[in-house]
Amino acid sequence: MTKESRPAHEPIPEWDEAADEILDGCGYDPDLGKRMAEDAIKITNGELTEQEFHEKYHEEVKTEFGTDERPTKPEGFDD
Amino acid sequence: MTNYGLVIDQERCIGCHSCAMSCKQENNVPMGQAWNRVLTVGGDHIDTPEGSYPEDGDDGTLEMSYQPTACQHCENAPCVKVCPVNATYKREDGIVEIDYDKCIGCRYCMAACPYNARVFNWDEPQHRPEEGTGDVEERPQGVVEKCTFCSHRVEEGLDPACVVNCPADARIFGDLDDDGSTVSKYVAEYDTNRLLDEKGTDPKTYYIQGEMSPGRPWKGKELESELDEQPTPEEADDPDSEESMRRATADAVWGDD
Ligand code: SF4
Ligand code: SF4
Ligand code: SF4
Repeated sequence: MTKESRPAHEPIPEWDEAADEILDGCGYDPDLGKRMAEDAIKITNGELTEQEFHEKYHEEVKTEFGTDERPTKPEGFDD
Repeated sequence: MTNYGLVIDQERCIGCHSCAMSCKQENNVPMGQAWNRVLTVGGDHIDTPEGSYPEDGDDGTLEMSYQPTACQHCENAPCVKVCPVNATYKREDGIVEIDYDKCIGCRYCMAACPYNARVFNWDEPQHRPEEGTGDVEERPQGVVEKCTFCSHRVEEGLDPACVVNCPADARIFGDLDDDGSTVSKYVAEYDTNRLLDEKGTDPKTYYIQGEMSPGRPWKGKELESELDEQPTPEEADDPDSEESMRRATADAVWGDD
């Protein structure tokens, strides 16, 4: 299946519940985890670039974890 | 470059759970956890058939086929992209691995994995026997773990435990970047399916459906690349033949390792 023919990612209600259970009490922001998980699929799907993903969450990840070591960091990205 | 992948021939798989058990044993997977699960296709639950029971004298349509499922070692892995501390990473040889010393247990990777391939050690891991099993150190409480493609074996020139212990030769492991490897040939020759292909994760596990392949065409525990001679896949075995049954039973009882 090519990038162009891939269907857009639609949120799945069952996943929503499962993700809530997975992230409940994880000690970090569960809402951030859910949003990043959804957007990571949008990258694989071709709806979002790694650069957009990195920039979108960089500040939140740094605030939450004190670091941002994700491999999505674009070259020359200023921390 | 090497790019490891797995082919699972669902036409050969007999649903015996040997892969699941040998995975658990080899990798010291804690009680209550599984890295490799043998799902059934079409049924409502794991281990339920699809179709309907015979009614009013008809034959019914019950059917059971199997889909062993573990980490798919996605090329474009969502779990890797979300890990804030880079504990989950992709190796040069395509294996997606977790650095358990780095993992902080945030479980973001679990939420991002569309294959439900990861498990979290909620409690102190327990093993039977207590000292554990296999050749891999236990992982502590509070980290995520999953299939490693048995990287500790692969680094020693050995096929993964689940591959060696499949009595139906339904699992074939090898280098997808080598056109001459059995995995590459089977992907080219047979109808294969990758789970959730439409998500673009580019999984490295291919499922053969439709026509049965000859399966893993060599005995022993070595990786294909370690063999002196290239194995030549013969005609597919008839899994119901007496010889196949005898061999499957002997392998399952005595092991091949
Ligand atoms: S199957 Fe899940 S855990 Fe494995 S590489 Fe893909 S996203 Fe990551
Ligand atoms: S649970 Fe561990 S491996 Fe998973 S995203 Fe968090 S730190 Fe990374
Ligand atoms: S490759 Fe190794 S870790 Fe992965 S399912 Fe098979 S036995 Fe388990």
